[in-house]
Amino acid sequence: MRRPDGKIVLLGDMNVGKTSLLQRYMERRFPDTVSTVGGAFYLKQWRSYNISIWDTAGREQFHGLGSMYCRGAAAVILTYDVNHAQSLLELEDRFLGLTDTASADCLFAIVGNKVDLSEEGPGEGGQEGGPAGGGGGAAPRLPKQVQPEDAVAFYKKILKYKMLDEKDVPAAEQMCFETSAKTGHNVDLLFETLFDMVVPVILQQRAQGPPQTVDIASSRPPARTRSGCCA
Amino acid sequence: MEAGGGTAAPAPGDAEDLEEMRFPSEEARDGGGICRDLPGTGDASVEKTGSETKDQPPGLLLQPEAPSCTYGLWGPGASENSPVGGPESGSGGQGGDPSDEDWRSKRKHVFVLSEAGKPIYSRYGSVEALSTTMGVMTALVSFVQSAGDAIRAIYAEDHKLVFLQQGPLLLVAVSRTPQSAAQLRGELMAVHAQIVSTLTRASVARIFARKQNYDLRRLLAGSERTLDRLLDSVERDPGALLLGAVRCVPLARPLRDALGALLRRCTAPGLALSVLAVGGRLVTAAQERTVLAECRLDPADLQLLLDWVGAPAFAAGEAWAPVCLPRFNPDGFFYAYVARLDAMPVCLLLLGTDPEAFHDMATCRRLVEDGMHSLGAMRTLREAASFSSTPSASASAYSVQAVEAAGLRHFLYKPLDIPDHHRQLPQFTSPELEAPYSREEERQRLSDLYHRLHARLHNTSRPLRLIYHVAEKETLLAWVTSKFELYTCLSPLVTKAGAILVVTKLLRWVKKEEDRLFIRYPPKYSTPPAAPAASTDQASHNGLFTAP
Repeated sequence: MRRPDGKIVLLGDMNVGKTSLLQRYMERRFPDTVSTVGGAFYLKQWRSYNISIWDTAGREQFHGLGSMYCRGAAAVILTYDVNHAQSLLELEDRFLGLTDTASADCLFAIVGNKVDLSEEGPGEGGQEGGPAGGGGGAAPRLPKQVQPEDAVAFYKKILKYKMLDEKDVPAAEQMCFETSAKTGHNVDLLFETLFDMVVPVILQQRAQGPPQTVDIASSRPPARTRSGCCA
Repeated sequence: MEAGGGTAAPAPGDAEDLEEMRFPSEEARDGGGICRDLPGTGDASVEKTGSETKDQPPGLLLQPEAPSCTYGLWGPGASENSPVGGPESGSGGQGGDPSDEDWRSKRKHVFVLSEAGKPIYSRYGSVEALSTTMGVMTALVSFVQSAGDAIRAIYAEDHKLVFLQQGPLLLVAVSRTPQSAAQLRGELMAVHAQIVSTLTRASVARIFARKQNYDLRRLLAGSERTLDRLLDSVERDPGALLLGAVRCVPLARPLRDALGALLRRCTAPGLALSVLAVGGRLVTAAQERTVLAECRLDPADLQLLLDWVGAPAFAAGEAWAPVCLPRFNPDGFFYAYVARLDAMPVCLLLLGTDPEAFHDMATCRRLVEDGMHSLGAMRTLREAASFSSTPSASASAYSVQAVEAAGLRHFLYKPLDIPDHHRQLPQFTSPELEAPYSREEERQRLSDLYHRLHARLHNTSRPLRLIYHVAEKETLLAWVTSKFELYTCLSPLVTKAGAILVVTKLLRWVKKEEDRLFIRYPPKYSTPPAAPAASTDQASHNGLFTAP
């Protein structure tokens, strides 16, 4: 059976483009998406590994499920909308706590999506570019509301929250992305960088014994309390 | 509502003329109608109406829907027939100002608001612009409530206003369609069930108990489209809600039985229900005995699931989401695995009780998929799906031509002669809507006609068995017997004798095809997946307490 070897979870507020990013990567297109219900599971073959990707719903309604999707995750992609400052704040307020159930050596990627909508646009590889005023194009685009530095600062906050040493984890510059699911800008880079980083984690987990996802699942049922039996 | 007891005279009030409205008589009527059977009888409104029925003088009972007593009034002259809601297909995103002409011209509005008057949902327009309108509705409700009563409906010229209070939620329909108050109430119940299915009744109650002016839109964000689709389906493809029945995919009985057996065989720990569906229509379903015990799945819950899995959100990947079945238990969640099999319109739903069981369900799905391949079912279902020109929407449908009855345009047939132990699965069948019912307005007209006929047949004070109705553009015949409920739409040129001939032909055809059209013998229970000890553990998770 195709049991996944490692898990990657997409988290973020609704309408930041999580489903679109994944569709862009998996199906190479940018279809109209609808609001995700619960979570959607995808399996991606990467080298000889099966990597599972959970595309979760950003709406508050499904918030309670977040930590379940994150259980034993090898990597979490925290997504925000560069044109919507609140979406980055939401990551900290609502979503970071969900990652507590992720694997201890979980990787974090911070992704600012929808750069195509902002003034600078996905330039010729210059996504780490200057301040917002630099664009000045004719298009009626608004300046970006979230700068890459904000994402880096957030990444460092996560490390603090997780009590991780900056030396033990990939550098912030490596883990903060600005993408456009519409144009495809940086989308492959994001996923493939993560896959490459997740593979050593999988190998390490294998060396340590059974994968953590299975471990937890099989040890959980006996721990359940029999509250409110109705049979 | 005693205060209004004297205003029984038909007052030609318009929407603003609140003093003149005739809701007292309405209450009496509806108290004797459909609403008695609905769940949530703990509500003050339902309790109230029980006594109300007795208090009303019988003369009042005939008041409200009296105009439809003779079908002369159904003619094209009746105001409802003016094709107003033309661009109904457009999303009601913009506008919403009640003074906006476009907004006012909609045939039917549905609103959901909190007890505190906070807008939650509106079919058209933005809810922000509607706070004043919603304020008026809250005022109406609390005015009647202060007299120790509950408002149920207001009739104002060609408008019907139907109110439904469900816990802390108030649902209101404002309609110019010919739907009866009972039918509108059924729609509101479905809207409420939809909301409960995503949030559970308990959590809605909890939220408002904690904070009365909570903005529920935060939690419902993303679900509005589902509500829109539900309400649109009433006009575009009438049947399911009107008849309270599910539609099945026509399928040869041996194959359907084999698929049912396959679903029963493929189980997973905590699996409660497996459903195979194509385009919102049922192929077959199997229920797990140990989890659902003797509880039968309510057809309204099944229909809700069928609508739910048909949502575009489930088009890709394997989904895992909580869902509540309002009739089964409005306060707890099940966990649903939803996937399209083999990139086909065939959809598999596995409903379980364990929030962590995704991978078990995914394994179970592969068993079902393999089983279907070896049965050759995939090919058959694919053929069924490719039959129609618009595969996604109308997969596995059939044309009315199949009946080979000239003059027959469309029909709805609901068998009532199903054996007793199968009554849990009310079903109906109808062919694809074809020309001349391909355009929005035509479908709406047909839906309106069906609704009128249905309301007449099921009129609580004067039910009818048979209606022959000559409309402007079609002739209709509706007939209810102990064996079936039938609505037929015929060419306008048909004679009465011709119509009877067509209906006879149709009934003969249905009889011949019934094994294919309906699930005559629904699979009952699947085999318990695990040892008894394990299943008791599962039982404690069968949605009877609230999940996250």
